[in-house]
Amino acid sequence: MSNDFDQQLRDALRPVDPDESFTRRVMSRIANEPTRSRRPQRARWACVALAASVLLGIVIFHHWQLQREQHGIEARNQLIEALRVTGEKLDIAYRAINEDSHPGAGESSRT
Amino acid sequence: MRTHSRKWLCLLLLIARAATAAPQAQLQLPGFESLAAQASESVNITLDSNLLGLAARFLDSNKPEDAAARELIGGLKGIYVRSYTFDRDFTYPSADVERVRKQLSAPGWQRVVEVHSRKEQANVDIYILMDQGKANGLALISSEPRGFTIVNIVGSIDLQKLHRLEGHFGIPRLPLDEKPSPTP
Repeated sequence: MSNDFDQQLRDALRPVDPDESFTRRVMSRIANEPTRSRRPQRARWACVALAASVLLGIVIFHHWQLQREQHGIEARNQLIEALRVTGEKLDIAYRAINEDSHPGAGESSRT
Repeated sequence: MRTHSRKWLCLLLLIARAATAAPQAQLQLPGFESLAAQASESVNITLDSNLLGLAARFLDSNKPEDAAARELIGGLKGIYVRSYTFDRDFTYPSADVERVRKQLSAPGWQRVVEVHSRKEQANVDIYILMDQGKANGLALISSEPRGFTIVNIVGSIDLQKLHRLEGHFGIPRLPLDEKPSPTP
């Protein structure tokens, strides 16, 4: 039973040489195949280039935004520091004026 | 052709006169580069209108200090601070400070406060640039034995806002509504 099946399988799968017309048919089909345009390949490269440009743009924009944020925070800190220094000196003036308005203190002079 | 040239010349002269007549709120502050190395603490801040605008975007309205700052800088075009503190009594180039003071004798500038605090050993002068009834600039010169500070605020300064800053940045209430003393 098993041997019969093996034999049947061997018969079914035995190598068969192609007939003479096979090569001719293949060659004629190749000859009739329309020449492949290079356009799809170019389009693919264009897409890659576009994607790379967009990616580069995003990276540059992100970097610019980070730098701007850094400058902004620095400017904000400088502003707060400037107002702190101004406030400190105004406070000295204020206290001196206050001392002046209270004759008991008498530690400062004002014009 | 000759009349045309004359007109242009007159126009140029008028523009030049207007430019020179307009009081300058921005003072020419020296760099004081050499002092920075000798100072124990130095503050050199130059914030022009662009930087002020940029700084304003990064102020957090939820913080009272930032909100107060935002309100104050609304009409400002620049804030310039030069402040140097030394560890010991130091003879800083008073000529540079005097050069700044000289600029404040220009028409438009009025000294509103001139105080000497014996306690702090400090002289503080506050000048305001009045232009058409509005304060368009503020200058503060504070000189102490161990340091000095020059502050120049350029732009439309709302003195009421400055008043409202009381409690922020240590800014007290100032007697700015009093009659200013004439510049000597």
